[in-house]
Amino acid sequence: MVKRNSFYKQLFLVCLCGIALSSCKPKEKLSPNSPGEINLQQFVAIGDGNTAGYMDDALYQYGQQNSLGAILQTQLQLVGAGEIYLPLMGSANIGTNSSFLSKLILGYKTDCLGGIGLSPVRYAQQGEVASLTTSVYSSQNKYSNFGVPGLRMIDLVSTALGNINLPQHNAFFARMSKDQFTWPVWSGDWSSVQENIFDGGYPTFCSIYLGIEDVLPYAKSGATANPMTPLLGLPGIGFEESLIQLSEQLYSQNIKAVVGTIPDITQMPYFTTIPYNGLNLDEANAASLNQIYGPLGFSFTVGSNSFMIEDPAAGAFGVRPMVEGELILLSAPLDSIKCHQYGSVYPLRDEFVLTLAELQEIRNQILAYNQVIRQHSNFYGFAIAETADFYKKLNDGFVYNGVTMSAKFVSGGAYSLDGIHLNPKGNALLANVFITAINKTFKATIPLANALFYSSTYFP
Amino acid sequence: MKRIYLGTLYLLYFVCNNNGFSQGFQVNFQGQRQQGMGLAGTAAPFDGSSLFFNPGSSVFLNQNSIVGGVTPVFGNVLFIDSATNAPYRSTSPVGTPFSFYAMFQLKPAGKLKMGLSVNTPFGSTVQYEDNWIGRFALTRLELKAIFIQPTFAYRIADQFGIGGGFVISSGNVNLQKDIPVQDTNGVYGHAELAGKAIGFGYNIGIHFTPSKQLSIGLTYRSKVAMNLRDGEATFTVPSSLEDKFPATSFTGRLPLPSVTTLGFSYHPCNAFTVVLDINRVGWKVYDTLAFDYATNTSSLADTKSPRLYKNILAFRLGMEVKPTKSLSLRLGGGYGLTPVQSGYVSPETPDGIRIYGTFGLGYELSQKIRIDASVYYTKIKRSDTNLETNMSGTYTTIALAPGLSISYKW
Repeated sequence: MVKRNSFYKQLFLVCLCGIALSSCKPKEKLSPNSPGEINLQQFVAIGDGNTAGYMDDALYQYGQQNSLGAILQTQLQLVGAGEIYLPLMGSANIGTNSSFLSKLILGYKTDCLGGIGLSPVRYAQQGEVASLTTSVYSSQNKYSNFGVPGLRMIDLVSTALGNINLPQHNAFFARMSKDQFTWPVWSGDWSSVQENIFDGGYPTFCSIYLGIEDVLPYAKSGATANPMTPLLGLPGIGFEESLIQLSEQLYSQNIKAVVGTIPDITQMPYFTTIPYNGLNLDEANAASLNQIYGPLGFSFTVGSNSFMIEDPAAGAFGVRPMVEGELILLSAPLDSIKCHQYGSVYPLRDEFVLTLAELQEIRNQILAYNQVIRQHSNFYGFAIAETADFYKKLNDGFVYNGVTMSAKFVSGGAYSLDGIHLNPKGNALLANVFITAINKTFKATIPLANALFYSSTYFP
Repeated sequence: MKRIYLGTLYLLYFVCNNNGFSQGFQVNFQGQRQQGMGLAGTAAPFDGSSLFFNPGSSVFLNQNSIVGGVTPVFGNVLFIDSATNAPYRSTSPVGTPFSFYAMFQLKPAGKLKMGLSVNTPFGSTVQYEDNWIGRFALTRLELKAIFIQPTFAYRIADQFGIGGGFVISSGNVNLQKDIPVQDTNGVYGHAELAGKAIGFGYNIGIHFTPSKQLSIGLTYRSKVAMNLRDGEATFTVPSSLEDKFPATSFTGRLPLPSVTTLGFSYHPCNAFTVVLDINRVGWKVYDTLAFDYATNTSSLADTKSPRLYKNILAFRLGMEVKPTKSLSLRLGGGYGLTPVQSGYVSPETPDGIRIYGTFGLGYELSQKIRIDASVYYTKIKRSDTNLETNMSGTYTTIALAPGLSISYKW
């Protein structure tokens, strides 16, 4: 009797173990993904360096693979988008900017005071010159990413952009253009970015993120050069008509699109990292500055003070202290500021500073661009990705799956080391803004990208 | 004899690796008979487990006895992130809540009873797959607490018994998560907080038998504040950030809630018993999970994570039939509210309202030796967006817990 029971008990336990192993795992019931009303057979991302994957002040392969365009397409692939074709730079990931400098990495740098600290440093002596002078055009695989670093809205139809004989040509575009560095005799004109996009068949869906470069060079010059694109004027000259002609082209071919608005670029770390009142003085320095500037009516105190800047509008001497809200650019020579009384005895030059008036001018222009973008995108039935909202949120800081993201230089986790372009993680978050807009407008259910899968700045 | 040997081995093998798949990190596997009857039995004394369920009822058992039991918990969590529509799973080890009871009386049917209860009413080990989307919130959490409770009980009258015990709880905590800074190979940093904790409490109960058929039990198990002292925090980060993440000691506090139970047992005939327990768990004490680091830096601040648990009720119902003198069959189930409020569901306790079912059986091998076994099954689903981490998705937890105990009485 006892024996039989022991057998049943063992059988019982064996069964339990069997049940334990098999029925214990929750089943995955994922909601279905759908492209909604869009056709993703031929997706093309159109834009500037953000779309191309320009980051750390260079275009390099890893950045391209983690670009806004590539990450967006990776998600679109879940609902039918095709393979990602990128005009890849070299696999050594040295990268280059238009001045042939390599990408920035985080490294150690000794400053003028002998202090060693983390700082963006160039990865190599020289950038990937060869990549900029070698055509990567392929008639077989049309690029799904027409992100061109530096591309302005008005450059879309430009026949100068790919003409390597002209100083204003764009080397990043020329290397991927179908002209392959050679004047196309049969057409007479060098082909534009737009011609390249439509070459060999229209896309079925586009993302368009243009306009930043229509104001950024002006802002980066401290509002001293590179005038902003005017709102009015013919395609190729005015912002609005350039946008309309592209939209018309797409609309006439029944091509749907998602269009990004433009963020307030002056809130990017390139413009916000150095505080206007970062001039820290001890008693002796404050006294000597008071001696210099006292006659002009400016006084200095021990502790934090406003930097001194050149401003032609400021009295007879054209010098004044900065006021709250004004910005110093990351291009300002930090060693001179730290060790050579730059920004105090010697005022900061105009090109390193954005004054309140200049900031107003830039921000107004961005608002005007955005109004135009919204108006025409609505008219043509395109989705609108409010990137401005996203960048603002980044500025305030937010928590993403347990990770605090902010617009802080280096430590914020979203910007690359150039302080303007996003890093892969930032690009993924930005791509999600585009996907959210697509989902909403075209009744699609495209999963967002997991931004934590994408990297931030590497620390040594 | 061989069976006892095997059982002991089984017990030793799993040592004390708890796994809490119950409300919060409460573990309700303290007795196989109760586990078979929907985790109820406060008013139905059975064996040494009464020392835990209701010390006041143990005096109604005319025996000296020793009971040992273990309940492996096979638990799996699936998290589906709502934004990316991607699934992530737990890889938690098998949990092993155990219990051991020894109960003695000075003379047969004496009024005084003494006993020792050693068990694991709280604990949790949850670990998630590598690179999961919540890795910066949690990768692994191990909470262990062993309650040691010397107990006395006294029968005041034939219908009325009281009992109480003093609880010493010894435990440890190990919490790990990744840090969102990457080295030059792209590898993320990692944080590990580990420490031992100790806490004290008590357990009192009264047992009342108004009629031959009905018993009523009322118990209160106090909260136990587990104090963590000299925990060790270690961080693996890129070398350039090491001074911002120094290895440091830390202190913390983890309150384990009080449990008040009102239980009923209805016993219309020898072969049939119905039990009902109503639990109130004082989870409100788990208000904040705070870590106070001895060394703070710009990157390493003391943390205070709101948990804001709330007190809950749970209802447990079960029955037992005895087709033969030596065989018992049991069936039960329960319904428990969750202490975790919306906005506070986290990977550490992906808790929700739960409904569970149990069954069990017991067999008396001889006058002295019996074996009891049970199975518990639950599936919990909870969708939430955590206010602190902004993790948003649905947790589905399935737990299956087959348990076994052996008792010896004389």
